[in-house]
Amino acid sequence: MWLPLLGLILGIALGILTDIQIPAVYENYLSIAVLAALDTMFGGIRAQLQNIYDDKVFISGFFFNIALAAGLAFLGVHLGVDLYLAAIFAFGVRLFQNIAVIRRILIEKWEEYKLKKSENLPKAR
Amino acid sequence: MTKKMIIHITIISFIMGFMLAVQYNTVQRPEMIESTDIWDIRQKVASERNLHSSLLEEIRVAQQVVQQYETDAVTDAEAILINTVEDLKASVGLNAVTGPGVILTIEPAQELIDFGYELKEIPPALLIRLVNDIYRFNGRYIEIADQRLTNFSAIRDINGKTTVNSIPIGRAGIDIRVIADTQEEAAKLYNYLLASTFFDEFYIDNMQLSVELPTHDVTIQGTERIIDNKYLTVDKGD
Repeated sequence: MWLPLLGLILGIALGILTDIQIPAVYENYLSIAVLAALDTMFGGIRAQLQNIYDDKVFISGFFFNIALAAGLAFLGVHLGVDLYLAAIFAFGVRLFQNIAVIRRILIEKWEEYKLKKSENLPKAR
Repeated sequence: MTKKMIIHITIISFIMGFMLAVQYNTVQRPEMIESTDIWDIRQKVASERNLHSSLLEEIRVAQQVVQQYETDAVTDAEAILINTVEDLKASVGLNAVTGPGVILTIEPAQELIDFGYELKEIPPALLIRLVNDIYRFNGRYIEIADQRLTNFSAIRDINGKTTVNSIPIGRAGIDIRVIADTQEEAAKLYNYLLASTFFDEFYIDNMQLSVELPTHDVTIQGTERIIDNKYLTVDKGD
């Protein structure tokens, strides 16, 4: 589990230390891409906890969601409709749903663990 | 979970971290750097100082009036009141005024007229700009073609004719009389007008602007219009 975390920290460190900035025009696209990435990541964690994790789905979802979100924002800018709001809404809702599911699964697991522990205790004596 | 999967997840989280950091950098971009230099600040101070001195001047005049009232309260109250009324009338534009000033003349540009160019009306926008610039350079009272400019005056186009106070001013031979507070102010105004682009601007409309040297006694008539005020009422007192 520590390797992905290390990757995240490394990425953040590289980004901050190189001090890369993107033009203000593209700020919208990046923010939406970040949201899409977060959504994919939490989706991946949920899938892993539900034991339905698929590598291909995860990786394709990551890139496809980012491209779709940025594309939608791009289209919205050129059509004069704030389409990026649609992406923000969709990803936002999914993010909350995913986090809620993750929370429930973790609570269930914790309770199972507690139950097991209390069952095991008398035996240990 | 296979090793391959973990590597994939690691790469993806690396990309995500990088994106987050770039987004953070972009959002944290510093605001516009304050770049006013000493000269800008000095100019601001100078304009504030001007305002300050004009306010002080007003206070001084008001205090003088108060003092007059206090010292001659019994004897000359009426005279002082009349004086004040006269002052107010002068500043509104009801009275004739004489003082140091400049006279501008707008005439047809003869060489253009000889060539067959048509003499058009003076564009109101140009006249308004001229008036605004004169006020900006401390011209106090203005008269255009015998029409005194007051706070109620309008320079505008009515049925294709340029009018001041709703009276057409004609196309040529127009005098603009300007009175300044002092001879120095008049000289300043004269020099500013000489250096301005108004000569070229009038020439575009086939007219020639000329500015006479400042003189000590320019006279401007009071306005003949009745200045009606809708909003001020007489307080009858107790």
